Amino acid sequence: MTPPRSVLVVGAGLAGARCAETLRAEGFDGELVLVGEEPFAPYERPALSKEFLTGERSAEELFLRPNAFWHEQRIELVLGQRVASVDRERRTATTSGGRVIHWDALVLATGARARQLPFEAPAGTHVLRTLADAIALRRELLPGARLAIVGGGFVGAEVASTARKLGVDVTLLEAGSAPFERALGPELGVRLAERYLDHGVDIRTETAAAAFHARPHGRVRAVELADGSVVECDVVLVAVGVAPAHELGAEVEPPIYACGDNAGSRGHWTGAAAEAVGAARRILELDPLPAQPPFFWSDQFGLRLQLVGDTTHADEVELEGSHDSFVARYRARGGKLVAALASNQPAAMGGLRLEVAAAA
Amino acid sequence: MYRIQIDRSLCSGFGACAELAPDIIELDASGNATARVGMSDDPAVLDAAAACPMAAILITEEEAA
Repeated sequence: MTPPRSVLVVGAGLAGARCAETLRAEGFDGELVLVGEEPFAPYERPALSKEFLTGERSAEELFLRPNAFWHEQRIELVLGQRVASVDRERRTATTSGGRVIHWDALVLATGARARQLPFEAPAGTHVLRTLADAIALRRELLPGARLAIVGGGFVGAEVASTARKLGVDVTLLEAGSAPFERALGPELGVRLAERYLDHGVDIRTETAAAAFHARPHGRVRAVELADGSVVECDVVLVAVGVAPAHELGAEVEPPIYACGDNAGSRGHWTGAAAEAVGAARRILELDPLPAQPPFFWSDQFGLRLQLVGDTTHADEVELEGSHDSFVARYRARGGKLVAALASNQPAAMGGLRLEVAAAA
Repeated sequence: MYRIQIDRSLCSGFGACAELAPDIIELDASGNATARVGMSDDPAVLDAAAACPMAAILITEEEAA
């Protein structure tokens, strides 16, 4: 196989950006185009639920690389356009703006979209995935506003934490018996739930949103729950996870590659950046880098939670430390360490990562 | 020579960089990656940058002065 002369990367999130810059760093000299649906250069999504929402960081401060970087690296950014169709035979892609881009290798880094609830969402109902979503939500998080968050996962919890800082009343609606029960186990879920209560969050567990109620002029007024009870609110955030964006097809075989949330079986749990580096190296026929265990972190209510490994098959959790600063080790049946979580113990992370990697 | 820049606002404390390029990158007391030097000719910095899940490490190749 001869190396490609042109690479088109579809999707300008972390994975797409990382793939493009890795291609250049590893010596790819051909034409390199990065197409992004959002009208912004690649930016740091995790801050959207935190420092961006509080106003501590501006949109400009979220960009992954200075603007000049893309020019210097000869990576052409085509922003504010989707790739509407791909012709796999002719090796072309057509953008929503009508531009036809030829490619020898195509990288699908289309990411994921926020899931919606299966009923009508009136004005004042938000999701949080893109910078535009965050700008719209930020406008509504005014002191004294009542925010209902549907979904007690990482996005829901981080926004709850940020909204409390902004003086917003928060009700968190969680389907399980504790937040993060599925991801982190019931012990951690209970511990985190106590913390949210201490910070003034009203948590409703084992409940599901059944409908939104709107005012006569159309704005959301309340969330109706499955048991018929009603949570009155001024603003709603629907944070029930993401769905991979597969509009261009999920089938990938060279010369088509995929990386990021549309490709990883576990979405955000696997490192989009690592997959992006992997895709770039496959395109250039370089050996893969040693695999790193999955990693995730979350800042909420004064805790920095860092999780390494995969808790899916964990059978027991060992907790050690205080209420704020602790380590949790997740073991599978038979005692094998499969994941570890550090809370406010950043210096422990390196060692835990090696423990998890050694046990794999 | 490689110029090493670490965006500390992106760093999430994974720590693989300090393991792969210990002479060049260390973790400070709060677990954030810090470059010991601004420039290096050690190709280990490329592995460190590639292993970062946040793409917080930017390596640019520069002509040696």
